[in-house]
Amino acid sequence: MKLIAINSARFILFVTLQVLIFNQLEIGLGIHPMVYPLFIMLLPFSISTISLLVIAFFMGLFIDIFSNTGGLHASSLLLFAFFRPIIFKAFSPRDGYDMNKEPSIYEMGRQWFIYCFGILLIIHHTWFFFMEVFKFSEFLYVLKKLILTLPISYLLVILLQFLFIKGKVSK
Amino acid sequence: MRNLFAFLKRFQIFLVFAILQVIALSLYFSYFFYPRSQYLTTASGAVAKVLEIKNSVTEHLNLKNTNTELQKRNQELLEKIPESFIRIDNYTVKINDTLNKQKFEYIPAEIINSTVEKRNNYFTINIGKVNGVERGLGVISDNGVVGVVHRCSDHYSVVKSVLTENINISVVIDKVGLFGLLKWDGADPRRGSVTGISNDIKIKKWSRVVTREGTGLFPKGIMVGKVEKLKEVEGEAFWDVSILFSEDYRKLQKVYVVKNIFSEEQNSLEALIPQDKK
Repeated sequence: MKLIAINSARFILFVTLQVLIFNQLEIGLGIHPMVYPLFIMLLPFSISTISLLVIAFFMGLFIDIFSNTGGLHASSLLLFAFFRPIIFKAFSPRDGYDMNKEPSIYEMGRQWFIYCFGILLIIHHTWFFFMEVFKFSEFLYVLKKLILTLPISYLLVILLQFLFIKGKVSK
Repeated sequence: MRNLFAFLKRFQIFLVFAILQVIALSLYFSYFFYPRSQYLTTASGAVAKVLEIKNSVTEHLNLKNTNTELQKRNQELLEKIPESFIRIDNYTVKINDTLNKQKFEYIPAEIINSTVEKRNNYFTINIGKVNGVERGLGVISDNGVVGVVHRCSDHYSVVKSVLTENINISVVIDKVGLFGLLKWDGADPRRGSVTGISNDIKIKKWSRVVTREGTGLFPKGIMVGKVEKLKEVEGEAFWDVSILFSEDYRKLQKVYVVKNIFSEEQNSLEALIPQDKK
């Protein structure tokens, strides 16, 4: 129950953050920071992959509606959700995950989070920007956008965790 | 059949992923290729409402720019006030004054096309028959005489400007009170000349040249220019008076068409004068 409440609140928080703040930033150079994958990342370990996919689909669709992109965010986020269990498996600790833990930077440690989230975010952003432009002739342009946006999104995600996700500091 | 279920079960995650992905991508591409479809976009009601609320928050960030823009616009509007005032005063409202009866009406207009380089220059203005313009009405600007309406259609008129060969506007040299006709030689859009002023009377340099009410085209005393040079014409008893126009026709934009309410009365009376038999 508590998990549902927390995650519903986060759902609204991340959609709002993305739509009303990060979509409105005009940094230039094609930089388009996206922080909402953090929501999918922070869903509990115990969640089944199918519900993960469904949640990801609807979250992406919400953001799409607000940013006039059809289903682009939904598609990218689906990919993110699809790869999440696979990546988690690859980086699992020796004795498996503690199902009571949350996959945040606080509970799983910096190294684990940076690797897992980094790879997933690269998948998400790459898919997003290539589908957005959808032309091989503009490969370099997409690459430029990707290389400029990725570190910024990444940094923002880590900062957001420090700001909004309550860490159990005692640990 | 059982094999099929087993297969589906084994790959259910991928199947769900594939189905959702297909839906998402088809939404995206239908939007990508047919951007006019309106559902699931910011044009839909609830979403627009949210963005409106967002805008009500962020609009304050642009207040400075918006203010500057507004101020600029306001200034433009303020500059237009005299024009609108004249329209109300002279065009739509008639004041019943028993001592002074209104004789001239002014219809504000804007020059939308003009030349000054040709021998005969015509200006096009943005009002026409619908606004009450007729052939032969005088046209003035804030600084001086502009010309006479030459042709008019429903919404536009062509003005034969002062810068034409035989404009022949009747003018008076102020203070001295001599009548003459305004001419233009086609050389300099800033300078014209007045003919028919006899050379037995001295004229001061820079004395004002204004319109004469004579033909009823213009009100009395509309500025035309100033006397710049006086030259004697050989063998004739007239000065060749060169004047500097008070209006710069090269950058003229706002004009007024002058309508003489009594012109018909005057013309019908003058038609009774017996013609000269030569």
